[in-house]
Amino acid sequence: MTQDPTITTGEAAPVEPKPPASIRDTDLSCRLPLLFLFANAAVWLLIGSVFALIASIKFHSPYFLADTAGLTYGRVRPASLDALVYGFCLQAGVAVAIWLLARLGRRTLLGGLSLVGGSVFWNLGVTVGFLGILAGDSTGYELFEMPGYSAMFLFLGWVLMAIPALVTFHYRVARPLFPSQWFIVAAVFWFPWIFSTASLLLLFYPVRGVAQSVISWWYGQNLTEVCLGMLGLGTVFFLVPTVTRRPLHSRYLALLAFGVLLLVTGWGGIPNSAPVPAWMPALSQVSNLLNLILILSVALSVWRTRWPAKPTTAAGAVTGNAPADSASSRGLPNDGTCLSFGIFATASFLVAGLMRSFEAWLNPNELLHFTWFSTARTELQVYGFFAAAIFGAAYYMLPRITGLAFSWPRLARAHYWVGLVGLVLIVLPFAVGGILQAIQLGNPAVPFMNTVRLSAHFLRVSTIGELLLLAGHVLFAANIAGLLRQLYRARVVPVYEAATEDLFEVAEGKA
Amino acid sequence: MSESGHSIPVTEAGDELQAERRPVPVWLILFLFVLLYWGMVWFDERGGWFAPQVYAPYRSLVEVETYQPATAVSAKDRGAPKFEVNCALCHNSDGTGKPGQAPPFVKSEWVLGSPARLIRIPLAGLSGPIKVNGQEYNFGTSMAAMGVGLSDEDLAAVLTYIRQSWGNNASEITPEQVKAVRAEVGARTQPWTTTELEALP
Amino acid sequence: MNYGPLIFLAAFFALSGSWVGFVLTPQMQVGQLQQTNVVVSGVAYPLARPGLAREGLEVYRANGCAYCHSQEIVQTGTMRNVVLNEAGTNQAAAVAALMEVTPGTSEGQAREVLRALPKTILQGVTKEAADAVTKSLSTAGAKAEPWVVPVGPDITRGWGKRRTVAQDFLFDYPVMLGSQRVGPDLANVGERLPDPNWHLRHLYAPRLVERKSSMPPYRFLFEKRRIEKLRSADALDLPAEFASGPEFEIVPTRESRALVAYLLSLRADTPLFEAPFTVAGLAASAPGTNAAPTTRGASTNAANSPPTNTPAK
Repeated sequence: MTQDPTITTGEAAPVEPKPPASIRDTDLSCRLPLLFLFANAAVWLLIGSVFALIASIKFHSPYFLADTAGLTYGRVRPASLDALVYGFCLQAGVAVAIWLLARLGRRTLLGGLSLVGGSVFWNLGVTVGFLGILAGDSTGYELFEMPGYSAMFLFLGWVLMAIPALVTFHYRVARPLFPSQWFIVAAVFWFPWIFSTASLLLLFYPVRGVAQSVISWWYGQNLTEVCLGMLGLGTVFFLVPTVTRRPLHSRYLALLAFGVLLLVTGWGGIPNSAPVPAWMPALSQVSNLLNLILILSVALSVWRTRWPAKPTTAAGAVTGNAPADSASSRGLPNDGTCLSFGIFATASFLVAGLMRSFEAWLNPNELLHFTWFSTARTELQVYGFFAAAIFGAAYYMLPRITGLAFSWPRLARAHYWVGLVGLVLIVLPFAVGGILQAIQLGNPAVPFMNTVRLSAHFLRVSTIGELLLLAGHVLFAANIAGLLRQLYRARVVPVYEAATEDLFEVAEGKA
Repeated sequence: MSESGHSIPVTEAGDELQAERRPVPVWLILFLFVLLYWGMVWFDERGGWFAPQVYAPYRSLVEVETYQPATAVSAKDRGAPKFEVNCALCHNSDGTGKPGQAPPFVKSEWVLGSPARLIRIPLAGLSGPIKVNGQEYNFGTSMAAMGVGLSDEDLAAVLTYIRQSWGNNASEITPEQVKAVRAEVGARTQPWTTTELEALP
Repeated sequence: MNYGPLIFLAAFFALSGSWVGFVLTPQMQVGQLQQTNVVVSGVAYPLARPGLAREGLEVYRANGCAYCHSQEIVQTGTMRNVVLNEAGTNQAAAVAALMEVTPGTSEGQAREVLRALPKTILQGVTKEAADAVTKSLSTAGAKAEPWVVPVGPDITRGWGKRRTVAQDFLFDYPVMLGSQRVGPDLANVGERLPDPNWHLRHLYAPRLVERKSSMPPYRFLFEKRRIEKLRSADALDLPAEFASGPEFEIVPTRESRALVAYLLSLRADTPLFEAPFTVAGLAASAPGTNAAPTTRGASTNAANSPPTNTPAK
């Protein structure tokens, strides 16, 4: 599909051995394209959180903005979710992934123009899709609401962004692979497959009846759990060892996690009560059970890397956890913030995974997934895990690829705390409220309106959480805007030259 | 898997990013196998072994079958709605027919008599005249092949319905009979005449 | 894993696996379903939704109704009951038989039971027991039949009669099963709330119907018109606090009428092979069932139940 043909031809004919590029060179080669991706992602993050806030207010105040068709709850909510998942998560995820592929392969970025072009298409697709949902053209499949006319842009956008990723990976100079690279390469390939399957079988040649729902569950599961899972875990497995300056705890544990994520997690999307033959939900239940191995091995890896049992003797390892590399002397935010985001992401991944198994197994009337509990789980996976990993990586990577200091480095720490509190205020009330809701739904003696009234209390708390998340995202976007401003003032010309240089390299490499 | 070390300098200070070759803890492997075993047992019990008609809370096709209504529906009862859709417009819901247009079914020797003749009529149509209960019916437009689109089971049910309703009491028409006749008739589209039919047993 | 192609192959085979499992196989199983004949009545099921309801599905989709309403009935089990329909002519024999099959029933209680038929006399028995009881009652001249009754909180609430199955959504595109129950389940709303005017008023102002409702109003699906001479026949009948002045009237647009037509077409009330239940052809007060027979249900009655004088509701 999007695989560059060169990648399957294998290792037989590597390019002429090339001295590994310096860390600084690999970083700077990503500067312009990745900043472009990140700036766009930040805009979508803001749009998505504003709409999420509107949706959250509507949870308990249904008459808020109710008279505009485009702002009715059933359109605002999918629009906000898609803006976050497609506009921010996947786009920023690709940006971080490409930077990691360049840095871990010690290869300057190849095909920056394709990356920018892909991002343009991607953003066009998300814009069209976002407006389409608000205009009432939503497809009706959860996490796949963007109408058919945006699917082409998105697909093309991803292909164009995937090509530089895979080419840079293929022509890497440092041949041995670090676990992060497994996860990222698999994700780059995974997304176009699931996206094209969903587009073809749900939009262009729709299948019949409930087969649609099964495919849409499969897609949603593969998107939020597998694709975002791979990109996020690749990031975490890089971030934590790098910032703590210790080796990753175990390569084999990472391999186990990779294997489970690859083989098992994608099967988990069918809810227990789905109107499909019993084998499908039963299979999903088994998958959600085996998924425990994934979350345990990830948590164990990160935990043991961050807090090793005994001081390691590996080369370059520094005991003590105050990272003091040359970055801090350049006025960057403390790398500790990046680490905190990484640890937070891992904790969220662990809890979200536990919640998934809980929902599949300890769910007496099969009603839990109809409640806010499942919303809490999705929030935790997408925000708490994925977005946090990306934030951590972004705070680490952005100053390094631009060679500039953040205008307000301390806002990063503020962002962390605001985001943490905000997320807890969303997830906790949703989870607790959801469990109570399920208990009441399971008891026919309780009138349905009682359940509605009960959940309203929890929903009010979550609105405060959404507000805090939005505030955190404003801080994040402000720092990116600050970088862009500095770049525009001081370095527009040199950066432009650096970017065009890469394109020449691609041409030479092909020749 | 390469045996070389996995050290890649990743920080400006020249620190190397490594993944140690520590084995996976034994308890995790054991836990994996426990979960695998549990999962298999669970799937064996709840999965209905991929049967398309087994939905939770049922566990197997055998169990679903025990909940089916005890009395199977007779062919006659299944035929009634098909009759309403396909035949009743001309022959009337009470089988009395329409004078000059469609002969009656009630006590008709064609309906109660030879199955071979009766089955042929809906498969290719009929052109008049036809004598029923001593009265001759002549219709301008011949009857179309109304039954050609019905399955063997459905056509048999409709024919059984007309043979056993409104005081009629003749034997059931089986899907096998319909199937056999359909094979004999083949792709014929030209309506039958009574002389043709009377030549049959 | 030190080779790029290895990762590619691993991902390829892993994804192929789940693709075959959850895309190809479901498409071959539930994607190839055909209209079928209902077990008891032989009526074709499901029927395609009528034109206006089909339009309404689009309104339902465009406005994201599925973000708050599911269309999935959860069934946690199935019970086998025995329902006594008629006592027959020999009252004494029926009482004796009833006392025999329901141990612990006094003669007075048994007579009481016979006075208000039909009545569920046994609940949650095995198939063999149900058949035996039915048989011994019929030898006494009474008429009893075994009933299959789905159970579950949703079913007790009256949200549906049985679990929803793939067959119910055969002709829908898109299928919107929903994932949240912010509002009640709608799988069988057409049978539960058959009044279109109720739905129109509810869509226009949910708090008109349920004071604490958290459903947003869909006023943009209605038109506010100045009354020229006479009120339109289809104008909503609203109390003063929800109306917008005496000189205006609120008229449903085609969209809201289509949406209501779609809601009314939502009914999963037909017994199927994979989701069997006994249709309440009688005005039975059997627990766990809703007695109101539908048009489809009524036609099943003739085929399945013994003739009875009890008028169908």
